[in-house]
Amino acid sequence: MAYDDRPERGWRRRAILRSSLGAAAMMGLQACAATAKTSRAGRAPLVSSKRAALAPMRITPDQIVDVKCCLRPLRAAGPNLGVEKAGGALVVHNYGHGGSGWSLSWGSADIAVGNAMSALPDAVAVVGCGIVGLTTAIVALRAGLKVTVYARDPIERTRTFRASGSFTPDSRIALAAQTDPSFADQWERMTRFSWKAFRTLLGVPGNPVEFIDSYQLSDRPIERRVWLPDPMVTGSFATKGQPQQNSEFARYSDRIRDIVPQAQPLIQEDIPFPVAYATRTSQMHFNFTSYAHILMSEFFARGGQYVSRTFHSPAEMGTLKEKVVIHCTGYAARDLWQDKTVIPVRGQTGWLVPQPEAKYAVRYHNVSLLSKTDGVVVMNTNPDIGDMLGVGESLELPRRSDIEAGLTLIAPVFASRERDA
Amino acid sequence: MKFRDLRLLLVLSIPALIAAAPAAKTPGGLYSDAQAVAGGVLYSAHCAICHGRMLEGTFETPALQGRFIANWSNAPLSAMFDYIRNAMPQSAPGSLGSDENAKILAFLLKMNGFPSGGQELSPAQTASMRMLKPSVGKAAAPNK
Repeated sequence: MAYDDRPERGWRRRAILRSSLGAAAMMGLQACAATAKTSRAGRAPLVSSKRAALAPMRITPDQIVDVKCCLRPLRAAGPNLGVEKAGGALVVHNYGHGGSGWSLSWGSADIAVGNAMSALPDAVAVVGCGIVGLTTAIVALRAGLKVTVYARDPIERTRTFRASGSFTPDSRIALAAQTDPSFADQWERMTRFSWKAFRTLLGVPGNPVEFIDSYQLSDRPIERRVWLPDPMVTGSFATKGQPQQNSEFARYSDRIRDIVPQAQPLIQEDIPFPVAYATRTSQMHFNFTSYAHILMSEFFARGGQYVSRTFHSPAEMGTLKEKVVIHCTGYAARDLWQDKTVIPVRGQTGWLVPQPEAKYAVRYHNVSLLSKTDGVVVMNTNPDIGDMLGVGESLELPRRSDIEAGLTLIAPVFASRERDA
Repeated sequence: MKFRDLRLLLVLSIPALIAAAPAAKTPGGLYSDAQAVAGGVLYSAHCAICHGRMLEGTFETPALQGRFIANWSNAPLSAMFDYIRNAMPQSAPGSLGSDENAKILAFLLKMNGFPSGGQELSPAQTASMRMLKPSVGKAAAPNK
């Protein structure tokens, strides 16, 4: 039977005590905040497995240790990977990855470094030290180039560290009608390349990359969400300069179903939470602190140089000693390069005290919790308007109240255990 | 006070234009106090929410003192003016008028120790100005 939000506490607690395996999964977590994609429960056969024993997360507001906000650089045509001359330098662009910067970092860097190397440089400059810039620098170093990174701030103080850090390679990556016909293939190439690169970091001390189980929970049967064009919405990016509805966003995840774990429905007896419906998948995520440490260590070990510097115009690229410059400034490119096709998409994350004993992710009522090494990420993606959430919003200040409201919404997931504890 | 004046020197003109700018050695005096006061009011309304009431910034938002001067010292002041005009306030870029942005810039100059004068700062002037001396600023003065 399906029940509503009220947990049946005694039943749930006994079930948890009986169970023996830990598992979890989450759908729809997207870099730097989530949208409300739901799982592919559909008509797939139900999975039967032993009910998971999961330590409950402590989610009271006193556990909040940080709230972070950032702007995703959505570019209607997809990331700018073009090449141009500026101030006498050859500038190779690598920016505008929407909510997919982390996820596409390696594949995008491979393309950008390839473009740079076609000019046969001995040395390159990389401008920007977010995940795209730093990864680009590593790829260039591995290719045998001398590399100097010029950036205002090291990675820890960039928007990169204000993302959620999940593998979400097509999150606000482009608007379908604005992309070149070849972009989908390029996206797939970047995604598959990145996926393999991330796998080389699995099991490395500090767990820079890891999989955890992620649950999508619901009071109603879970179906895959499909965004159809709403005839009531007039206008589009083409007429308004910003997307007007979810159906405008490009979605490519079906292209990589062969390598990325998919959500599987659980039978009710196997659901380790007091809800009626659940799916489980394996979600890859990035632990910022160890990941950045490993990249910076490799960067310096290979002889990379870091220079603290800001740029005020494209022409300043020509003042660098390197004559090939890879430009990786993300959202900042909107003003540095006057690229007004970069659209801000605001997202925010709350961070609870790290809870390594509760190593899973869960999503319920458009609120998600993802247990990472540097804390439990909380995202409240309400109101439920999908990828449109935050579009055009550029006030980059966190709102703690949204995170606290999210914790209240997801509290029923843990209510029974808290009551019985 | 001599040291202070030197420290706060606002040098006119980029080096290539120094010969054409006889006032290059004149310290500051390129905005009026009234302009800076008005800029402070605008700053409180439009900028302080992110950059802080004392321009101190946060872990994520740049401070507008100290390193800020170093960051912008290798570009004409017009670059900063243009940046403010185009990119700020970040929540509503370009929403302030040229006169308002000039006032805010005057306020930033004042808060970074560049001396005022009788003349109002106008955007057209900023192309030939440059902040060459990193300012230690009042915040760095030893506690007494």
